[in-house]
Amino acid sequence: TSQPLPPKEKTLFNRILKCYEQKQYKNGLKFAKQILSNPKFAEHGETLAMKGLTLNCTGKKEEAYELVKRGLKNDLKSHVCWHVYGLLQRSDKKYDEAIKCYRNALRWDKENLHILRDLSMLQVHMRDIEGYRETRHALLQLKPGQRAPWIGYAIANHLLKDYTVAFKVLEEFGKTQQNDYYLFDEEMVYEHSELLLYQNYILQEAGLFQQAIEHLETNKEKIVDKLSWLEYKGDLCVKLERLEEAEKIFTSLVNRNPENHSYYQKLESVIKPSNEVERLQIYDAVSAIFPKADSPKSLPLTFLTGPMFQERVDKIMREQLKRGVPPLFVSLKPLYKEQEKVKCIGEIAEQFIRSLEANSKFSPDDEEIEPPTTLLWARFFYAQHLDKIKEYEKALQLINESLEHTPTLIELHVLKAKVLKHLGDTAGAVASMDEAQSLDTADRFINCKCAAYMIRNDMISDAEETAAKFTRENVSIDEYLKEMQCMWYEVACASAHSRANRYGEALKKCHEVDKHFTEIIEDQFDFHQYCMRKMTLRSYVKMLKLEDSLRSHRFYFQAAKAAIKVYIHLHDEPYQPGDRIQDEKESSMSNAELKKLRNKQRRQERKKAAAEERKKNEQHDKSGKKNHTDTILINPSFCNFCQISNPLEQAQKFLAPLELYCSGKFETHYLAFQIAERRGTLLVMLRALLRAQKVAKESDMPNLHVCRVRFAKK
Amino acid sequence: MGQIKGVRIELGGITQHNIKQLKRLNQYIFPVSYNDKFYKDVLEVGELAKLAYFNDVVVGAVCCRVDVHDGVRHLYIMTLGCLAMYRRHGIGSVLLEHVFKIAKSQGSFHSIFLHVQINNDSAINFYKHFGFEIVETKEHYYKRIEPSDAYVLEKRLIPEKSA
Repeated sequence: TSQPLPPKEKTLFNRILKCYEQKQYKNGLKFAKQILSNPKFAEHGETLAMKGLTLNCTGKKEEAYELVKRGLKNDLKSHVCWHVYGLLQRSDKKYDEAIKCYRNALRWDKENLHILRDLSMLQVHMRDIEGYRETRHALLQLKPGQRAPWIGYAIANHLLKDYTVAFKVLEEFGKTQQNDYYLFDEEMVYEHSELLLYQNYILQEAGLFQQAIEHLETNKEKIVDKLSWLEYKGDLCVKLERLEEAEKIFTSLVNRNPENHSYYQKLESVIKPSNEVERLQIYDAVSAIFPKADSPKSLPLTFLTGPMFQERVDKIMREQLKRGVPPLFVSLKPLYKEQEKVKCIGEIAEQFIRSLEANSKFSPDDEEIEPPTTLLWARFFYAQHLDKIKEYEKALQLINESLEHTPTLIELHVLKAKVLKHLGDTAGAVASMDEAQSLDTADRFINCKCAAYMIRNDMISDAEETAAKFTRENVSIDEYLKEMQCMWYEVACASAHSRANRYGEALKKCHEVDKHFTEIIEDQFDFHQYCMRKMTLRSYVKMLKLEDSLRSHRFYFQAAKAAIKVYIHLHDEPYQPGDRIQDEKESSMSNAELKKLRNKQRRQERKKAAAEERKKNEQHDKSGKKNHTDTILINPSFCNFCQISNPLEQAQKFLAPLELYCSGKFETHYLAFQIAERRGTLLVMLRALLRAQKVAKESDMPNLHVCRVRFAKK
Repeated sequence: MGQIKGVRIELGGITQHNIKQLKRLNQYIFPVSYNDKFYKDVLEVGELAKLAYFNDVVVGAVCCRVDVHDGVRHLYIMTLGCLAMYRRHGIGSVLLEHVFKIAKSQGSFHSIFLHVQINNDSAINFYKHFGFEIVETKEHYYKRIEPSDAYVLEKRLIPEKSA
């Protein structure tokens, strides 16, 4: 710093720092005033900066920035000023700027641990892994006695694929730890075990399988997560072609958990059975030990054919229909890709029903008599089968018959709604679903389903009323579901609004979904420090990978698709106020009523926005660090979304993650083509067309053809 | 019918959340329709009203109320029945046994009684099997169905002797 303070003021300044740490902002400001009121120090950079930082925690953001910038200007060589400026930027989520500030701070104080740590968190958050490694290296050299620098440095190297370095760092770190304390402290035991497994994970990623397996053997006693140990060892044995050993391990894994499908896959890959019968033996052996396990009975259905398939599926259907298992159809659905099996299952179901209707038995020469519920579930199953093979009328008939006998079975009403939906009768579907949810108003799943069906039928206000039965009181549905990040609801609403040409509302919902994804990516920030402390390193690294491609999730895909379509439409037909089509309730109102409703909505929105402002200011006072500063649209009129000058730009913003993460989907390229077409960028059009061609399925062919023709015409 | 394996009959409470199931049942089982007050009262009688679950499916129900006449307490069965497809599986018996249990545990009931349409032979036989007797005939008891006459079936309970 170029403005050192005399002892009296220095003490005051230190008090300001302490007050900030302890969140005693009023006191901090008092001390700052004491320094600044002295004309000799009225422009003392660091004090001004600290005053600004404190003010930021009380919500006075503009003033805060002014003060901090002033302070910085007065003392450009102060690492404190740069650090404070960085903290300010960070609280506004301007991470790139914050990193720059921290770097500047470090120029004046290379060995400031606090700044280095802050910087490293930001760097990994922004995925500047090279920078992260540098910073971690510096920290390691400064504090080799602490744990975090070692771990951080190892992780950095791992992420940069410098596997050998990462492994060695962890080895060295292991040596610096006293090896006997962990025998007495359970938490230490766990953490050490996780560290070893993380090391092993690195070796596996590096392809050093022999070394990895030896590492597992040496540390067998210290690794307490026995399941992971076994799974790793099994996989490694396969990679090293030690097949007999692998078989033993996977067999013991199956004995631990006979419902894990991947174990069976691995067993098969190791045993390499040569035909159906041998394959079946593997599963039957497990069934013999675990007669109640479901997987060894149902998995063989995927590879059996002919009479053996028939025998097995018949047995399973009998068992589950007798037990009254509603999702029997759902578990057999994957088999419906093969026509033979579809036919077989259908015939079996039909025979069951006939025989049960005639004399309450699965087949005429059976001894056992079945209760009436068996016939009920058999009919339910067969109706789902008919629905799947698109015999909707027959399915409806069967369902209605069943409802005559057992009108209280909610599953029947839900199925009826589904079939009506497939037939295109969205209003009838809502009626059925509403009946279903009215029979059990404590069932949240059915409530959600009912709301979804209402949205599809453009009954959005009804959907809100229905959903309100389960949301918090005194909070609007939209707000609550936004807080809960309930994206299926937002995407469904966006589609419904879009279909009814209410583009503003549709876009608002799409933007909300996008914001959720941004939030989820934001949320990882605290874990950078937390996971290192708790040593859950494998999960941490996997989380980083997840966050890297978060927008590949189908919710984002659906929202982006909806948004892009709307923006393309807005480009083709620019928005005119008054274009808005009201939903069912509104279109039945008179003009006067409609005007009243609009005024009420505007008042409510203004109230909402004001309440949000107040809440955020309160939060500022209470929790200094969490400064949420989303810019709130004070009057989020839907027109704002529609009356933009360059809708294609917005569309492109939504498209970018799709091209990165959903490049296997036809729609991505189809939409890219449409945007490029309107921009007149021929090369981009061609690129989109070629990519679309590569991934097109039969159902996409018509759209693909249209694209080809339009491109040719250009 | 004891020979069918894997049959579970259980009784469950009636709440605001599932009351519509009761309405549906009554709609399908009985030729008489019940008004909103009936269902409002049902929610207040606790153990005196139950749903019957057959293998986890709601198929039947019983609704009673306490009837005081000249200072004497009687237990009145308003509805008891199950869906047609599930009859003769012992559900009615389970429901009636429950009524007996309640009567006994709450004590001080002089009798249990109910009305049955005079042509409902299967119901009359069912109740007779459990010790009910025809004690009266009420002419034109029912307003909208034929025959409109009803029998009153009653089962005397031995009242608890005061100590």
